[in-house]
Amino acid sequence: MSSSLIINELTPEKSKDGTVTVPVLQVSGRLDTHTVGILEKSLSSTMAKGVKSLVLELSGLNYVSSSGLRALLMARREARERKGTIMLCALTPQVRDVFDMVGFTSLFDIRDTLENGRAALR
Amino acid sequence: MMFKEMRVSADASQLISLATFASAAAKEAGFDRKQTWRIELAVDEACSNIIEHAYSGQKGGWITLKIAIEPNEWMQIVLEDQGKGFDPTKIASVTPITSLDHARIGGMGVHMMRTIMDEVKFEFKIPYIGNRLTMIKKV
Repeated sequence: MSSSLIINELTPEKSKDGTVTVPVLQVSGRLDTHTVGILEKSLSSTMAKGVKSLVLELSGLNYVSSSGLRALLMARREARERKGTIMLCALTPQVRDVFDMVGFTSLFDIRDTLENGRAALR
Repeated sequence: MMFKEMRVSADASQLISLATFASAAAKEAGFDRKQTWRIELAVDEACSNIIEHAYSGQKGGWITLKIAIEPNEWMQIVLEDQGKGFDPTKIASVTPITSLDHARIGGMGVHMMRTIMDEVKFEFKIPYIGNRLTMIKKV
């Protein structure tokens, strides 16, 4: 038995003038102490490209523990320093429950769908 | 009453085994889907603390998970380790978090455990046992 976390960088949308919009990472699986390094590495390499904001599509994330929350919190702080944000989309009921439990819901921009998240950052 | 027990190395790769073991027991105890998932999370958080703090991430330690169930009444979860005895209750909790500036990196796991379970009790340096965490939840 093993836990796994899969992260896909979705093909970025392009705006009408041809510029690439905010990158989207699709995160699925189980985000815990064992797998959090995968997310941290992915967030770090994406932010290293100089992006200010980032969208995380979480419809496939069925589990998050406090280790995962810490990684998201650090990324949110870094994005804020860059005058950007971390947009979280399509939270599963389990992830929403944990967010509510620790008060994270008020710290992040959260949208019901990826489309709504992208639209909010255009 | 039913008893279950498992013992694994104190390694993050074992978290899912511990959490799944607890989750299956919670179902047998009669908890609904949401509570079962929450109990799995409480065990995950407790074991993560043992691995990261009691054993400081070093290999070679063990975690013993003992579960007692009285179906449709209660579930008792006991975790034992022989690490250095990390007491998370001494960390001031600031959860639930209301501001990005005030959000602390630590303390969230213990807050979750206390939110989810009805009773959470830490004991340290028990002769021949080590450290023991007992968590109880009524169905």
